[in-house]
Amino acid sequence: MKARKMRKIINLLSIFFLAISIFSLSLYAQKNSCVECHQELEDELLAPVEAFKIDIHQQFGLSCADCHGGNPAEEDIDLAKDKTFKGAPQRFRIPEFCASCHSDSRYMRRFNPRIRVDQLDIYWTSKHGQLLKKGDTKVALCTDCHAAHGIQAATHPKSWTFPWNIPQTCSRCHSDTNYMKDYKIPTKQWDDYKDSVHAHALFEKKDLSAPVCNDCHGNHGATPPEVTSIAYICRQCHPSAGELFSQSPHKKAFDEMELSECEACHGNHKILPPSDEMLGTGEKAVCIQCHEPDSEPYQIASRIKEKLDAFIKKIRHAESLLEQADRQGVEVSEPKFMLTEANSTLIFVRNLTHSFSLMEIEEKIEEGKKVVAEVTNAGEAALREAKFRKTGLIIATCFIFLLSIALFLKIKQITKKTPNESP
Amino acid sequence: MNRRKFIDFFLGGSLAGTVIAFLYPTIRYILPTKQTEAVIKKVTAAKLGELAPNTSKIFKFGTSPGILINTSDGELRAFSAICTHLTCTVIYESDTGTILCPCHNGRFDLSGNVISGPPPAPLESYNVEISGEDIVASKKG
Repeated sequence: MKARKMRKIINLLSIFFLAISIFSLSLYAQKNSCVECHQELEDELLAPVEAFKIDIHQQFGLSCADCHGGNPAEEDIDLAKDKTFKGAPQRFRIPEFCASCHSDSRYMRRFNPRIRVDQLDIYWTSKHGQLLKKGDTKVALCTDCHAAHGIQAATHPKSWTFPWNIPQTCSRCHSDTNYMKDYKIPTKQWDDYKDSVHAHALFEKKDLSAPVCNDCHGNHGATPPEVTSIAYICRQCHPSAGELFSQSPHKKAFDEMELSECEACHGNHKILPPSDEMLGTGEKAVCIQCHEPDSEPYQIASRIKEKLDAFIKKIRHAESLLEQADRQGVEVSEPKFMLTEANSTLIFVRNLTHSFSLMEIEEKIEEGKKVVAEVTNAGEAALREAKFRKTGLIIATCFIFLLSIALFLKIKQITKKTPNESP
Repeated sequence: MNRRKFIDFFLGGSLAGTVIAFLYPTIRYILPTKQTEAVIKKVTAAKLGELAPNTSKIFKFGTSPGILINTSDGELRAFSAICTHLTCTVIYESDTGTILCPCHNGRFDLSGNVISGPPPAPLESYNVEISGEDIVASKKG
Protein backbone atom coordinates (compact mmCIF):
# COMPACT_ATOMS: atom_id res chain seq x y z
CA MET A 1 0.00 0.00 0.00
CA LYS A 2 2.80 2.34 1.04
CA ALA A 3 4.86 1.41 -2.01
CA ARG A 4 1.88 2.14 -4.26
CA LYS A 5 1.48 5.58 -2.69
CA MET A 6 5.18 6.24 -3.09
CA ARG A 7 5.04 5.30 -6.82
CA LYS A 8 2.12 7.67 -7.30
CA ILE A 9 4.07 10.56 -5.72
CA ILE A 10 7.13 9.77 -7.87
CA ASN A 11 4.96 9.75 -11.04
CA LEU A 12 3.39 13.10 -10.17
CA LEU A 13 6.79 14.63 -9.44
CA SER A 14 8.12 13.31 -12.76
CA ILE A 15 5.25 14.87 -14.69
CA PHE A 16 5.78 18.14 -12.80
CA PHE A 17 9.53 18.30 -13.58
CA LEU A 18 8.95 17.29 -17.17
CA ALA A 19 6.42 20.10 -17.61
CA ILE A 20 8.83 22.57 -15.99
CA SER A 21 11.63 21.41 -18.33
CA ILE A 22 9.50 21.75 -21.47
CA PHE A 23 8.33 25.20 -20.38
CA SER A 24 11.92 26.34 -19.71
CA LEU A 25 13.13 24.94 -23.01
CA SER A 26 10.34 26.70 -24.92
CA LEU A 27 11.19 29.95 -23.19
CA TYR A 28 14.84 29.42 -24.11
CA ALA A 29 13.90 28.65 -27.68
CA GLN A 30 11.61 31.66 -28.05
CA LYS A 31 14.09 34.05 -26.55
CA ASN A 32 15.53 36.39 -29.16
CA SER A 33 18.11 38.67 -27.66
CA CYS A 34 18.73 40.27 -31.10
CA VAL A 35 15.21 41.70 -31.09
CA GLU A 36 15.28 42.52 -27.40
CA CYS A 37 18.44 44.60 -27.79
CA HIS A 38 17.72 46.17 -31.17
CA GLN A 39 14.26 47.37 -30.23
CA GLU A 40 15.86 49.46 -27.52
CA LEU A 41 18.08 51.12 -30.12
CA GLU A 42 17.27 53.84 -32.67
CA ASP A 43 17.20 54.54 -36.41
CA GLU A 44 19.07 52.05 -38.62
CA LEU A 45 19.67 49.72 -35.67
CA LEU A 46 15.97 49.63 -34.81
CA ALA A 47 14.72 49.55 -38.42
CA PRO A 48 15.46 45.84 -39.06
CA VAL A 49 13.32 44.83 -36.06
CA GLU A 50 10.36 46.86 -37.32
CA ALA A 51 10.75 45.78 -40.94
CA PHE A 52 11.19 42.10 -40.09
CA LYS A 53 7.67 41.98 -38.61
CA ILE A 54 6.24 41.79 -42.14
CA ASP A 55 9.14 39.88 -43.68
CA ILE A 56 8.32 36.64 -45.49
CA HIS A 57 11.25 34.93 -43.74
CA GLN A 58 9.63 35.66 -40.39
CA GLN A 59 6.36 34.20 -41.68
CA PHE A 60 8.22 30.97 -42.47
CA GLY A 61 9.61 30.79 -38.94
CA LEU A 62 13.10 32.12 -39.64
CA SER A 63 14.77 34.57 -37.30
CA CYS A 64 17.71 36.99 -37.31
CA ALA A 65 20.16 34.21 -36.46
CA ASP A 66 19.19 32.17 -39.53
CA CYS A 67 20.85 34.81 -41.70
CA HIS A 68 23.19 36.63 -39.34
CA GLY A 69 24.22 33.75 -37.11
CA GLY A 70 24.89 34.12 -33.38
CA ASN A 71 22.99 32.73 -30.43
CA PRO A 72 19.81 34.73 -29.75
CA ALA A 73 19.12 32.67 -26.64
CA GLU A 74 22.00 34.34 -24.83
CA GLU A 75 21.31 37.63 -23.09
CA ASP A 76 24.93 38.66 -22.88
CA ILE A 77 25.97 40.40 -26.10
CA ASP A 78 29.37 38.76 -26.14
CA LEU A 79 27.88 35.32 -25.70
CA ALA A 80 25.13 36.05 -28.25
CA LYS A 81 27.72 37.06 -30.82
CA ASP A 82 29.44 33.67 -30.68
CA LYS A 83 31.68 32.19 -33.35
CA THR A 84 28.68 31.55 -35.66
CA PHE A 85 27.84 35.27 -35.72
CA LYS A 86 28.13 36.76 -39.22
CA GLY A 87 26.60 40.18 -38.64
CA ALA A 88 25.62 42.38 -41.59
CA PRO A 89 27.36 41.25 -44.76
CA GLN A 90 29.58 43.61 -46.70
CA ARG A 91 27.66 45.02 -49.65
CA PHE A 92 29.53 43.10 -52.32
CA ARG A 93 28.93 39.85 -50.45
CA ILE A 94 25.14 40.21 -50.30
CA PRO A 95 24.31 38.04 -53.36
CA GLU A 96 26.28 35.12 -51.96
CA PHE A 97 24.92 35.82 -48.48
CA CYS A 98 21.33 35.37 -49.71
CA ALA A 99 22.32 32.54 -52.02
CA SER A 100 23.69 30.50 -49.13
CA CYS A 101 20.06 29.49 -48.60
CA HIS A 102 18.40 30.49 -51.89
CA SER A 103 20.73 28.38 -54.02
CA ASP A 104 20.34 25.36 -51.78
CA SER A 105 17.54 23.41 -53.45
CA ARG A 106 17.28 20.89 -50.63
CA TYR A 107 16.88 23.65 -48.04
CA MET A 108 14.49 25.77 -50.15
CA ARG A 109 12.27 22.82 -51.02
CA ARG A 110 11.13 22.73 -47.38
CA PHE A 111 9.48 26.10 -47.78
CA ASN A 112 8.45 26.13 -51.44
CA PRO A 113 9.05 23.18 -53.76
CA ARG A 114 8.53 25.38 -56.83
CA ILE A 115 10.92 28.19 -55.92
CA ARG A 116 13.89 28.75 -58.24
CA VAL A 117 17.35 28.28 -56.84
CA ASP A 118 19.39 29.62 -59.76
CA GLN A 119 19.03 33.32 -59.02
CA LEU A 120 22.70 33.79 -58.15
CA ASP A 121 23.92 32.07 -61.32
CA ILE A 122 21.58 34.23 -63.39
CA TYR A 123 22.58 37.33 -61.44
CA TRP A 124 26.23 36.91 -62.43
CA THR A 125 25.11 37.05 -66.09
CA SER A 126 23.26 40.35 -65.54
CA LYS A 127 24.75 43.76 -66.15
CA HIS A 128 24.50 44.33 -62.39
CA GLY A 129 26.31 41.10 -61.60
CA GLN A 130 29.03 41.66 -64.19
CA LEU A 131 29.77 45.12 -62.79
CA LEU A 132 29.71 43.84 -59.22
CA LYS A 133 32.33 41.27 -60.14
CA LYS A 134 34.46 44.13 -61.39
CA GLY A 135 34.13 45.75 -57.97
CA ASP A 136 31.32 48.23 -58.62
CA THR A 137 29.17 48.09 -55.50
CA LYS A 138 26.77 50.80 -56.71
CA VAL A 139 24.93 48.26 -58.83
CA ALA A 140 21.70 46.64 -57.77
CA LEU A 141 21.97 43.69 -55.40
CA CYS A 142 19.30 41.45 -53.89
CA THR A 143 18.46 43.94 -51.14
CA ASP A 144 18.07 46.87 -53.56
CA CYS A 145 15.11 45.23 -55.28
CA HIS A 146 13.73 43.03 -52.50
CA ALA A 147 14.59 45.12 -49.39
CA ALA A 148 16.79 43.80 -46.62
CA HIS A 149 14.41 43.11 -43.76
CA GLY A 150 10.91 43.90 -45.02
CA ILE A 151 11.03 41.36 -47.82
CA GLN A 152 7.61 40.30 -49.05
CA ALA A 153 6.59 37.64 -51.54
CA ALA A 154 6.51 38.93 -55.13
CA THR A 155 2.79 38.11 -55.14
CA HIS A 156 2.11 40.60 -52.34
CA PRO A 157 0.80 43.91 -53.75
CA LYS A 158 3.12 45.86 -51.43
CA SER A 159 6.20 43.92 -52.44
CA TRP A 160 8.83 45.96 -54.29
CA THR A 161 8.74 43.23 -56.94
CA PHE A 162 4.95 43.12 -57.41
CA PRO A 163 4.24 44.07 -61.07
CA TRP A 164 2.90 47.55 -60.46
CA ASN A 165 5.78 48.38 -58.07
CA ILE A 166 8.59 47.14 -60.30
CA PRO A 167 8.92 50.30 -62.46
CA GLN A 168 9.39 52.39 -59.30
CA THR A 169 11.79 49.84 -57.85
CA CYS A 170 14.03 50.01 -60.93
CA SER A 171 13.63 53.74 -61.32
CA ARG A 172 14.94 54.42 -57.82
CA CYS A 173 18.38 54.04 -59.38
CA HIS A 174 17.71 54.25 -63.11
CA SER A 175 15.91 57.62 -62.97
CA ASP A 176 18.48 59.16 -60.68
CA THR A 177 20.66 61.15 -63.09
CA ASN A 178 23.27 61.79 -60.44
CA TYR A 179 23.51 58.16 -59.39
CA MET A 180 23.61 56.94 -62.98
CA LYS A 181 26.00 59.56 -64.39
CA ASP A 182 28.99 57.17 -64.42
CA TYR A 183 27.14 54.60 -66.51
CA LYS A 184 26.30 56.89 -69.43
CA ILE A 185 22.86 55.40 -70.06
CA PRO A 186 19.54 57.26 -70.36
CA THR A 187 17.58 57.97 -67.21
CA LYS A 188 14.18 58.75 -68.72
CA GLN A 189 12.96 55.17 -69.12
CA TRP A 190 10.43 55.53 -66.30
CA ASP A 191 9.10 58.82 -67.72
CA ASP A 192 8.81 57.22 -71.14
CA TYR A 193 7.21 54.05 -69.78
CA LYS A 194 4.56 56.08 -67.92
CA ASP A 195 3.16 57.25 -71.30
CA SER A 196 3.20 53.79 -72.85
CA VAL A 197 0.30 51.54 -73.70
CA HIS A 198 1.76 48.98 -71.31
CA ALA A 199 1.78 51.43 -68.39
CA HIS A 200 -1.79 52.41 -69.25
CA ALA A 201 -2.83 48.74 -69.12
CA LEU A 202 -0.99 48.21 -65.85
CA PHE A 203 -1.87 51.35 -63.93
CA GLU A 204 -5.24 52.34 -65.41
CA LYS A 205 -6.74 48.96 -66.22
CA LYS A 206 -4.88 47.19 -63.39
CA ASP A 207 -3.84 44.52 -65.88
CA LEU A 208 -1.06 42.64 -64.11
CA SER A 209 -0.12 40.80 -67.30
CA ALA A 210 1.11 44.08 -68.85
CA PRO A 211 4.88 44.05 -69.17
CA VAL A 212 7.08 45.93 -66.74
CA CYS A 213 10.87 46.34 -66.75
CA ASN A 214 11.74 42.74 -65.85
CA ASP A 215 9.47 41.23 -68.50
CA CYS A 216 11.73 42.60 -71.24
CA HIS A 217 15.06 42.91 -69.44
CA GLY A 218 14.89 39.93 -67.14
CA ASN A 219 14.90 40.22 -63.37
CA HIS A 220 17.90 38.54 -61.75
CA GLY A 221 19.61 38.47 -65.14
CA ALA A 222 18.60 42.04 -66.04
CA THR A 223 20.42 43.28 -69.09
CA PRO A 224 19.55 45.43 -72.12
CA PRO A 225 18.20 43.14 -74.86
CA GLU A 226 20.38 42.71 -77.92
CA VAL A 227 19.05 44.10 -81.20
CA THR A 228 18.39 40.57 -82.43
CA SER A 229 16.51 39.52 -79.33
CA ILE A 230 14.09 42.45 -79.04
CA ALA A 231 11.66 40.90 -81.50
CA TYR A 232 11.66 37.63 -79.59
CA ILE A 233 10.93 39.47 -76.37
CA CYS A 234 7.91 41.22 -77.91
CA ARG A 235 6.77 37.90 -79.39
CA GLN A 236 6.31 36.50 -75.91
CA CYS A 237 3.03 38.40 -75.85
CA HIS A 238 2.61 39.38 -79.52
CA PRO A 239 3.38 36.16 -81.39
CA SER A 240 1.25 36.71 -84.49
CA ALA A 241 2.69 40.13 -85.35
CA GLY A 242 6.17 38.63 -85.04
CA GLU A 243 5.34 35.68 -87.27
CA LEU A 244 3.91 37.96 -89.94
CA PHE A 245 6.95 40.21 -89.78
CA SER A 246 9.32 37.24 -90.09
CA GLN A 247 7.63 36.23 -93.33
CA SER A 248 7.74 39.76 -94.71
CA PRO A 249 10.45 41.28 -96.91
CA HIS A 250 11.29 43.59 -94.01
CA LYS A 251 12.83 40.76 -91.98
CA LYS A 252 15.83 40.37 -94.29
CA ALA A 253 16.25 44.12 -94.73
CA PHE A 254 16.10 44.78 -90.98
CA ASP A 255 18.61 42.02 -90.29
CA GLU A 256 20.99 43.43 -92.88
CA MET A 257 20.65 46.94 -91.50
CA GLU A 258 20.89 45.62 -87.92
CA LEU A 259 17.61 47.24 -87.01
CA SER A 260 15.65 45.84 -84.10
CA GLU A 261 12.35 44.65 -85.53
CA CYS A 262 9.42 45.87 -83.40
CA GLU A 263 11.36 48.63 -81.68
CA ALA A 264 12.26 50.38 -84.94
CA CYS A 265 8.61 51.38 -85.51
CA HIS A 266 7.02 51.08 -82.06
CA GLY A 267 9.80 52.40 -79.84
CA ASN A 268 10.97 50.77 -76.63
CA HIS A 269 9.94 52.18 -73.28
CA LYS A 270 7.46 54.68 -74.71
CA ILE A 271 5.40 52.26 -76.78
CA LEU A 272 2.30 54.23 -77.62
CA PRO A 273 -0.99 52.59 -78.64
CA PRO A 274 -0.54 51.75 -82.32
CA SER A 275 -2.63 53.89 -84.65
CA ASP A 276 -3.55 53.75 -88.32
CA GLU A 277 -1.54 56.96 -88.81
CA MET A 278 1.62 54.92 -88.33
CA LEU A 279 0.90 53.34 -91.71
CA GLY A 280 1.15 54.92 -95.14
CA THR A 281 2.98 58.05 -96.09
CA GLY A 282 1.46 60.69 -93.83
CA GLU A 283 3.34 62.84 -91.33
CA LYS A 284 3.07 60.31 -88.52
CA ALA A 285 3.76 57.30 -90.75
CA VAL A 286 6.73 55.20 -89.74
CA CYS A 287 7.20 53.86 -93.29
CA ILE A 288 8.62 57.19 -94.48
CA GLN A 289 11.48 56.90 -92.02
CA CYS A 290 13.16 54.52 -94.47
CA HIS A 291 11.27 54.58 -97.77
CA GLU A 292 11.86 57.34 -100.30
CA PRO A 293 8.85 58.87 -102.12
CA ASP A 294 8.19 57.26 -105.51
CA SER A 295 9.89 54.05 -104.42
CA GLU A 296 7.82 50.87 -104.77
CA PRO A 297 7.58 50.17 -101.01
CA TYR A 298 6.48 53.79 -100.53
CA GLN A 299 3.68 53.25 -103.05
CA ILE A 300 2.69 49.98 -101.37
CA ALA A 301 2.55 51.69 -97.98
CA SER A 302 0.35 54.37 -99.49
CA ARG A 303 -1.96 51.79 -101.09
CA ILE A 304 -2.26 49.80 -97.85
CA LYS A 305 -3.26 52.94 -95.98
CA GLU A 306 -5.79 53.92 -98.66
CA LYS A 307 -7.36 50.46 -98.61
CA LEU A 308 -7.49 50.41 -94.84
CA ASP A 309 -8.97 53.90 -94.62
CA ALA A 310 -11.64 53.05 -97.18
CA PHE A 311 -12.56 49.91 -95.27
CA ILE A 312 -12.76 51.81 -91.97
CA LYS A 313 -14.92 54.45 -93.64
CA LYS A 314 -17.34 51.78 -94.82
CA ILE A 315 -17.52 50.21 -91.36
CA ARG A 316 -18.14 53.59 -89.72
CA HIS A 317 -20.86 54.37 -92.29
CA ALA A 318 -22.57 51.03 -91.60
CA GLU A 319 -22.25 51.65 -87.84
CA SER A 320 -23.82 55.07 -88.23
CA LEU A 321 -26.75 53.65 -90.23
CA LEU A 322 -27.41 51.02 -87.59
CA GLU A 323 -27.18 53.56 -84.81
CA GLN A 324 -29.69 55.84 -86.53
CA ALA A 325 -32.05 52.94 -87.20
CA ASP A 326 -31.69 51.69 -83.63
CA ARG A 327 -32.44 55.18 -82.33
CA GLN A 328 -35.56 55.30 -84.43
CA GLY A 329 -36.85 52.11 -82.87
CA VAL A 330 -36.12 49.61 -85.65
CA GLU A 331 -34.78 46.23 -84.56
CA VAL A 332 -31.20 45.92 -85.91
CA SER A 333 -29.60 43.39 -83.57
CA GLU A 334 -28.86 40.97 -86.43
CA PRO A 335 -26.87 43.45 -88.57
CA LYS A 336 -25.18 44.74 -85.39
CA PHE A 337 -24.12 41.17 -84.69
CA MET A 338 -22.81 40.91 -88.27
CA LEU A 339 -20.89 44.12 -87.78
CA THR A 340 -18.85 42.49 -85.01
CA GLU A 341 -17.49 40.18 -87.72
CA ALA A 342 -16.49 43.18 -89.83
CA ASN A 343 -14.80 44.77 -86.82
CA SER A 344 -12.95 41.52 -86.18
CA THR A 345 -11.76 41.62 -89.79
CA LEU A 346 -10.55 45.19 -89.29
CA ILE A 347 -8.54 44.18 -86.22
CA PHE A 348 -7.19 41.20 -88.15
CA VAL A 349 -6.18 43.43 -91.05
CA ARG A 350 -4.44 45.91 -88.76
CA ASN A 351 -2.31 43.06 -87.47
CA LEU A 352 -1.87 41.71 -91.00
CA THR A 353 -0.15 44.97 -91.94
CA HIS A 354 2.96 43.46 -90.27
CA SER A 355 3.17 41.20 -93.34
CA PHE A 356 3.31 44.30 -95.60
CA SER A 357 1.66 42.16 -98.25
CA LEU A 358 -0.72 44.34 -100.21
CA MET A 359 -2.30 41.30 -101.83
CA GLU A 360 -3.08 39.53 -98.55
CA ILE A 361 -4.38 42.75 -97.02
CA GLU A 362 -6.59 43.50 -100.02
CA GLU A 363 -7.95 39.95 -99.97
CA LYS A 364 -8.91 40.16 -96.31
CA ILE A 365 -10.38 43.64 -96.73
CA GLU A 366 -12.52 42.38 -99.62
CA GLU A 367 -13.89 39.65 -97.32
CA GLY A 368 -14.71 42.26 -94.74
CA LYS A 369 -16.26 44.58 -97.30
CA LYS A 370 -18.78 41.89 -98.26
CA VAL A 371 -19.94 41.70 -94.65
CA VAL A 372 -20.01 45.49 -94.38
CA ALA A 373 -22.07 45.68 -97.60
CA GLU A 374 -24.65 43.33 -96.09
CA VAL A 375 -24.72 45.36 -92.90
CA THR A 376 -25.03 48.61 -94.88
CA ASN A 377 -27.95 47.17 -96.88
CA ALA A 378 -29.62 46.04 -93.66
CA GLY A 379 -29.02 49.47 -92.13
CA GLU A 380 -30.44 51.28 -95.15
CA ALA A 381 -33.45 48.96 -95.18
CA ALA A 382 -33.96 49.64 -91.47
CA LEU A 383 -33.81 53.40 -92.11
CA ARG A 384 -36.31 53.08 -94.98
CA GLU A 385 -38.58 51.20 -92.62
CA ALA A 386 -38.16 53.92 -90.00
CA LYS A 387 -38.91 56.59 -92.62
CA PHE A 388 -42.02 54.72 -93.77
CA ARG A 389 -43.26 54.46 -90.18
CA LYS A 390 -42.55 58.15 -89.57
CA THR A 391 -44.29 59.24 -92.77
CA GLY A 392 -47.28 57.08 -91.90
CA LEU A 393 -47.40 58.59 -88.44
CA ILE A 394 -47.17 62.15 -89.78
CA ILE A 395 -49.97 61.50 -92.30
CA ALA A 396 -52.14 59.84 -89.63
CA THR A 397 -51.42 62.75 -87.26
CA CYS A 398 -52.39 65.28 -89.94
CA PHE A 399 -55.65 63.43 -90.60
CA ILE A 400 -56.44 63.31 -86.89
CA PHE A 401 -55.63 67.02 -86.63
CA LEU A 402 -57.84 67.89 -89.64
CA LEU A 403 -60.60 65.71 -88.24
CA SER A 404 -60.36 67.55 -84.92
CA ILE A 405 -60.65 70.95 -86.70
CA ALA A 406 -63.57 69.67 -88.80
CA LEU A 407 -65.29 68.38 -85.69
CA PHE A 408 -64.67 71.65 -83.91
CA LEU A 409 -66.12 73.67 -86.83
CA LYS A 410 -69.09 71.30 -87.11
CA ILE A 411 -69.86 71.63 -83.42
CA LYS A 412 -69.58 75.41 -83.71
CA GLN A 413 -71.93 75.37 -86.71
CA ILE A 414 -74.45 73.23 -84.84
CA THR A 415 -74.32 75.44 -81.75
CA LYS A 416 -74.82 78.57 -83.95
CA LYS A 417 -77.87 77.07 -85.68
CA THR A 418 -79.46 75.81 -82.49
CA PRO A 419 -80.83 79.25 -81.20
CA ASN A 420 -82.62 80.03 -84.55
CA GLU A 421 -84.13 76.58 -84.78
CA SER A 422 -85.59 76.74 -81.29
CA PRO A 423 -89.19 78.01 -81.05
CA MET B 1 -64.08 84.21 -61.75
CA ASN B 2 -67.66 83.34 -62.66
CA ARG B 3 -68.91 79.84 -63.44
CA ARG B 4 -68.83 80.25 -67.30
CA LYS B 5 -65.23 81.48 -67.23
CA PHE B 6 -64.20 78.66 -64.95
CA ILE B 7 -65.73 76.06 -67.30
CA ASP B 8 -64.06 77.70 -70.35
CA PHE B 9 -60.70 77.73 -68.57
CA PHE B 10 -61.15 74.13 -67.44
CA LEU B 11 -62.10 72.92 -70.94
CA GLY B 12 -59.29 74.94 -72.61
CA GLY B 13 -56.71 73.54 -70.20
CA SER B 14 -57.93 69.98 -70.77
CA LEU B 15 -57.79 70.47 -74.55
CA ALA B 16 -54.24 71.82 -74.36
CA GLY B 17 -53.24 68.87 -72.14
CA THR B 18 -54.78 66.41 -74.61
CA VAL B 19 -52.94 68.01 -77.54
CA ILE B 20 -49.61 67.87 -75.67
CA ALA B 21 -50.23 64.27 -74.57
CA PHE B 22 -50.79 63.36 -78.20
CA LEU B 23 -48.04 65.42 -79.79
CA TYR B 24 -45.21 64.74 -77.31
CA PRO B 25 -44.88 60.98 -77.97
CA THR B 26 -45.37 61.63 -81.70
CA ILE B 27 -42.50 64.14 -81.74
CA ARG B 28 -40.34 61.86 -79.59
CA TYR B 29 -40.96 59.07 -82.08
CA ILE B 30 -40.07 61.27 -85.05
CA LEU B 31 -37.05 62.84 -83.31
CA PRO B 32 -35.81 60.07 -81.02
CA THR B 33 -33.04 60.43 -78.44
CA LYS B 34 -30.25 57.89 -77.99
CA GLN B 35 -31.47 54.85 -76.12
CA THR B 36 -29.51 52.27 -74.21
CA GLU B 37 -29.45 48.73 -75.48
CA ALA B 38 -31.63 46.17 -73.72
CA VAL B 39 -29.56 43.87 -71.50
CA ILE B 40 -29.89 40.25 -72.59
CA LYS B 41 -29.26 37.71 -69.87
CA LYS B 42 -30.29 34.43 -71.47
CA VAL B 43 -30.42 33.11 -75.02
CA THR B 44 -30.93 29.85 -76.84
CA ALA B 45 -27.45 29.03 -78.12
CA ALA B 46 -28.28 25.89 -80.10
CA LYS B 47 -30.63 22.96 -80.35
CA LEU B 48 -29.88 19.76 -78.50
CA GLY B 49 -27.83 17.43 -80.69
CA GLU B 50 -26.87 20.24 -83.06
CA LEU B 51 -23.19 20.13 -82.07
CA ALA B 52 -21.08 17.03 -82.50
CA PRO B 53 -18.39 16.44 -79.84
CA ASN B 54 -15.25 18.57 -80.30
CA THR B 55 -17.09 21.22 -82.34
CA SER B 56 -18.38 24.68 -81.62
CA LYS B 57 -20.89 27.25 -82.73
CA ILE B 58 -20.92 31.03 -82.64
CA PHE B 59 -24.29 32.21 -81.42
CA LYS B 60 -25.90 35.60 -81.01
CA PHE B 61 -26.03 36.88 -77.43
CA GLY B 62 -27.90 40.14 -77.87
CA THR B 63 -25.77 41.92 -80.44
CA SER B 64 -22.53 40.24 -79.33
CA PRO B 65 -21.13 36.87 -80.32
CA GLY B 66 -21.02 33.96 -77.90
CA ILE B 67 -19.31 30.63 -78.45
CA LEU B 68 -20.83 27.29 -77.50
CA ILE B 69 -18.41 24.38 -77.37
CA ASN B 70 -19.21 20.72 -77.17
CA THR B 71 -15.91 19.39 -75.80
CA SER B 72 -14.40 16.09 -76.90
CA ASP B 73 -15.85 14.65 -73.67
CA GLY B 74 -19.30 15.82 -74.72
CA GLU B 75 -19.47 18.61 -72.14
CA LEU B 76 -21.16 21.83 -73.18
CA ARG B 77 -19.42 25.08 -72.34
CA ALA B 78 -20.29 28.62 -73.38
CA PHE B 79 -18.33 31.86 -73.30
CA SER B 80 -18.49 35.35 -74.66
CA ALA B 81 -16.74 35.06 -78.04
CA ILE B 82 -15.26 38.53 -77.63
CA CYS B 83 -11.51 38.38 -77.11
CA THR B 84 -10.48 40.42 -74.07
CA HIS B 85 -7.54 41.86 -76.00
CA LEU B 86 -9.07 43.89 -78.83
CA THR B 87 -12.61 42.41 -79.13
CA CYS B 88 -12.09 40.06 -82.09
CA THR B 89 -14.37 37.05 -82.30
CA VAL B 90 -12.67 33.91 -80.99
CA ILE B 91 -12.93 30.42 -82.48
CA TYR B 92 -12.65 26.89 -81.13
CA GLU B 93 -9.58 25.01 -82.33
CA SER B 94 -10.59 21.36 -82.27
CA ASP B 95 -7.14 19.86 -82.79
CA THR B 96 -5.73 21.57 -79.69
CA GLY B 97 -8.97 21.68 -77.71
CA THR B 98 -8.43 25.35 -76.97
CA ILE B 99 -10.06 28.66 -77.90
CA LEU B 100 -8.08 30.86 -80.25
CA CYS B 101 -8.35 34.49 -81.19
CA PRO B 102 -7.20 34.53 -84.82
CA CYS B 103 -6.41 38.26 -84.80
CA HIS B 104 -3.37 38.16 -82.49
CA ASN B 105 -3.13 34.45 -81.61
CA GLY B 106 -4.43 34.85 -78.08
CA ARG B 107 -5.25 31.43 -76.68
CA PHE B 108 -7.66 30.41 -73.92
CA ASP B 109 -8.33 27.09 -72.20
CA LEU B 110 -11.77 25.54 -71.94
CA SER B 111 -12.38 27.41 -68.69
CA GLY B 112 -11.83 30.68 -70.53
CA ASN B 113 -8.44 31.34 -68.88
CA VAL B 114 -5.63 32.88 -70.90
CA ILE B 115 -2.96 30.38 -71.94
CA SER B 116 -0.83 32.61 -74.14
CA GLY B 117 -0.77 35.75 -76.25
CA PRO B 118 -1.85 39.27 -75.46
CA PRO B 119 -5.35 38.86 -73.92
CA PRO B 120 -5.24 40.45 -70.48
CA ALA B 121 -8.23 38.67 -68.96
CA PRO B 122 -10.21 35.43 -69.23
CA LEU B 123 -13.23 35.11 -71.49
CA GLU B 124 -16.54 35.73 -69.76
CA SER B 125 -18.07 32.30 -69.20
CA TYR B 126 -21.79 31.61 -69.34
CA ASN B 127 -23.96 29.06 -67.58
CA VAL B 128 -25.22 26.34 -69.89
CA GLU B 129 -28.42 24.44 -69.26
CA ILE B 130 -30.72 22.23 -71.28
CA SER B 131 -34.29 23.41 -71.51
CA GLY B 132 -36.38 20.94 -73.49
CA GLU B 133 -34.81 20.81 -76.93
CA ASP B 134 -32.80 24.00 -76.39
CA ILE B 135 -29.29 24.59 -75.12
CA VAL B 136 -29.60 27.81 -73.16
CA ALA B 137 -26.65 30.07 -72.31
CA SER B 138 -27.06 32.64 -69.56
CA LYS B 139 -24.93 35.26 -67.87
CA LYS B 140 -23.56 34.30 -64.47
CA GLY B 141 -24.58 36.17 -61.34
